[in-house]
Amino acid sequence: MNLYEMPEYKEIVIDFCTESEQLFDQLETHLTNLEDDLSNTSELEKFGQIIDRIMGAAKSIQASEIATFCELGKVIGYKSSQVRDIPLLEVVVAILFDALDLLRKMIKSMRDGNNNSMKNLNTKAFTTRLNWLSNKFKDIERSSCAINGNLNQNSIDDLMKSLGL
Amino acid sequence: MALKTNMKILVVDDMSTMRKIIKNMLTQVGFTNITEADDGATAWPLIEGAIKEGKPYEFILSDWNMPQMSGLDLLKKVRETSGLEKLPFLMITAEAEQGNVVIAVKAGVSNFIVKPFSAQVLKEKIDKIFNK
Repeated sequence: MNLYEMPEYKEIVIDFCTESEQLFDQLETHLTNLEDDLSNTSELEKFGQIIDRIMGAAKSIQASEIATFCELGKVIGYKSSQVRDIPLLEVVVAILFDALDLLRKMIKSMRDGNNNSMKNLNTKAFTTRLNWLSNKFKDIERSSCAINGNLNQNSIDDLMKSLGL
Repeated sequence: MALKTNMKILVVDDMSTMRKIIKNMLTQVGFTNITEADDGATAWPLIEGAIKEGKPYEFILSDWNMPQMSGLDLLKKVRETSGLEKLPFLMITAEAEQGNVVIAVKAGVSNFIVKPFSAQVLKEKIDKIFNK
């Protein structure tokens, strides 16, 4: 059983859902602003920063599918903010809007406590699309976006030990 | 060394859910005097105010990635402040890239904890920081 399914986490899960829904509105605003002016890629940086918050909390309550979606959304947001390829940015906006729509449905399922509804969302297929898009930006360096280069707790502990802490 | 349960703790995170989770964990491991801030920029006046009152914070747990003032910038401000050079400062992050860890260590971070973490892991980190 994941943490978010435990009765003692119910209040935190409801808060997480409410806070996430508020942040989704902000994410939608940033995407709409970008859609209106595709040269305004700073909106994608803001998108990355907001979705990062949801990711951290999702990981903490072991909502791993939501966390994975958010992680990919963050990478795409941050990295695509550095490109100036308008046709590619059109694809980014379209896919991120779809991702946001799916995230809203995932949060709704979580709020309703409906696991079957979550399963019916077919998130795996969409994760493949997000991975495909994320790979378009794999050559762009961006601190805190090194999905495969991030350290786990043990590696950090070892690194800190080697640095004298 | 047993830690004071009323140790003055500041939790800094821009996601209110995260602050609640961390506060819950701290309460689970016995701490009772916990204040929250939603960004480094809102944490800093609290830290300054606490110094002026003569009741400074004794432990800070801060998220790294925040919109106005990051955890790293908050850490640097803390370390530049007279009397806070050794204030225990635990950095919380969802992802940690090696370069960032090194930067934070150079800036004087006391330790790192990676999301997700349990109350037990948090307790171990706290023990490690305070028993150094």
